[in-house]
Amino acid sequence: MDVQIIYNTPHEIPLGWFIATYFYLTGLSAGSFVVSVIATIGGKAEYKPLGKIGAVLAPILLILAPLNLIIDLEQPLRFWHLFVYLNFTSPITYGTFLLTIYPISGLIYAWFVFKGNQKMASFFGIIGIPLAICTHGYTGFILALGKGRALWSTALMPSLFIVSAMVSGIALLILAASIRNRFFLKNTEEKERDKDLIIGLGKFMGGIIMMDIFMVFNAIIVLLTSTKEAYEVVKLMLIGSFSYEFLGIEIFLGGIIPLFLVFNKKTRKSLRWLIIASILTLIGVYSMRIVVVIAGQSIPLH
Amino acid sequence: MVKIGEKRKIRYGFLIDLRRCIGCHTCSVSCKAENDVPLKVFRSWVKIIEKGRYPNVSRSFLPSLCNNCDNPICLKNCPVKATWQRDDGIVMIDEHRCIGCKYCMASCPYDVRHVNPLKRYVQKCYWCYHRVDKRVAPACVEVCIGRARIFGDINDPNSEISQLIATNPVQVLKPEMATEPRVYYIGLDLDVMDPMKGWKGLTHEDGGEL
Ligand code: SF4
Ligand code: SF4
Ligand code: SF4
Repeated sequence: MDVQIIYNTPHEIPLGWFIATYFYLTGLSAGSFVVSVIATIGGKAEYKPLGKIGAVLAPILLILAPLNLIIDLEQPLRFWHLFVYLNFTSPITYGTFLLTIYPISGLIYAWFVFKGNQKMASFFGIIGIPLAICTHGYTGFILALGKGRALWSTALMPSLFIVSAMVSGIALLILAASIRNRFFLKNTEEKERDKDLIIGLGKFMGGIIMMDIFMVFNAIIVLLTSTKEAYEVVKLMLIGSFSYEFLGIEIFLGGIIPLFLVFNKKTRKSLRWLIIASILTLIGVYSMRIVVVIAGQSIPLH
Repeated sequence: MVKIGEKRKIRYGFLIDLRRCIGCHTCSVSCKAENDVPLKVFRSWVKIIEKGRYPNVSRSFLPSLCNNCDNPICLKNCPVKATWQRDDGIVMIDEHRCIGCKYCMASCPYDVRHVNPLKRYVQKCYWCYHRVDKRVAPACVEVCIGRARIFGDINDPNSEISQLIATNPVQVLKPEMATEPRVYYIGLDLDVMDPMKGWKGLTHEDGGEL
């Protein structure tokens, strides 16, 4: 049957770049925090610098992240309403508390890490891990509970967000640690040991990228066979206007190429390639946030 | 069942009888005038499609407005309870409380909410509660030239809307969303209610949104 739309008045897409950037920064923060804690309580002395880098990055990123949220509000000066008028069925209300408590606990953790107080650092680190995961997981719930959007309303969303957060967090740590290794470490022996550590981190990143791609694959397969809207949104991502961002940047540049660099015999031992892999990964995860947020709303609702 | 002497709760509902709609957009215009709805945003609009191939063609209309759902996802997701529901079912937005996070807009499966570009908070159709409270019909109902729009208490079995719902096959939009919409349609066409029908998709040539 031929159907022509003669007249329709869709509204503008409500959530845009600021929200995607916010998701990205919380993800980065949560990911680097978790890796930092693992390094701190991992015991070995050579892990410690990684713990420190992560401990600094996590709270800084998490102080920047909510700024995006507040700028995106139509009434930024009313942001305090979030603290006084609570709605416990809304994931954003949970976020309000997570976004307050998590950076505070992160700062306390960082303080003890730098004081060298192993016991207290481990304690606050272990408290911080679930907070970090919740802080990022709840952003997944924000999308998952947007029931009108086929791409979002899946139970996979929070886990997918957490996994991609880990990917980006590790990539950021690799980048920071490599910079430290190249420019700040003088002692050759120390440099070598540090490099091994970064290479290990690269393998870890590779593993989680595989998990991430696997989850995205699952999501796509199910979307392809569920509702019409779901099918159309996947079409948009595979052959439509989001295919460069999705297939090109997120999957190929941010997934396949880093995987290759991290596991290939020739490149995996070189810091330079690892840096490239982590930069590509960081770009890929940002592209993922953009695609999820914006492509998710690009399907008409009426 | 309502027991004798028991005070019955009002639950407003809205019915659009598409057998009588001619797609004139008077409802959309009257809503703009009544509620000071700014340019580029709509609380009420009429989607029009054309289907078939000459000479067997027809047009179908879908007048849309907020469904003032019984289980509104916009209300559940509003972080500051700026969206609230009256006892008679009308879903309201407290404009002094709304922070403009737009989460309700992203959650509503019907795309009926908009940011007021001048006042910077979210608004939507509230079934002209200011008129209803004075026992006057909503603006779009009053002006509809075909009397296609019926507003009333669906808990009162004698109201016109209840009788129409009881004696006609009716349907609502996207019942699978479980928001329990309370805008009923008589004679709704399958193709006009399907957002994907006739939608061309977004290709790289269109530029998409990026
Ligand atoms: S139609 Fe949308 S905005 Fe209106 S009550 Fe239902 S969910 Fe809320
Ligand atoms: S009931 Fe009032 S607010 Fe709603 S669409 Fe009609 S005129 Fe607009
Ligand atoms: S005013 Fe009445 S007849 Fe005209 S488009 Fe609106 S509902 Fe249909």
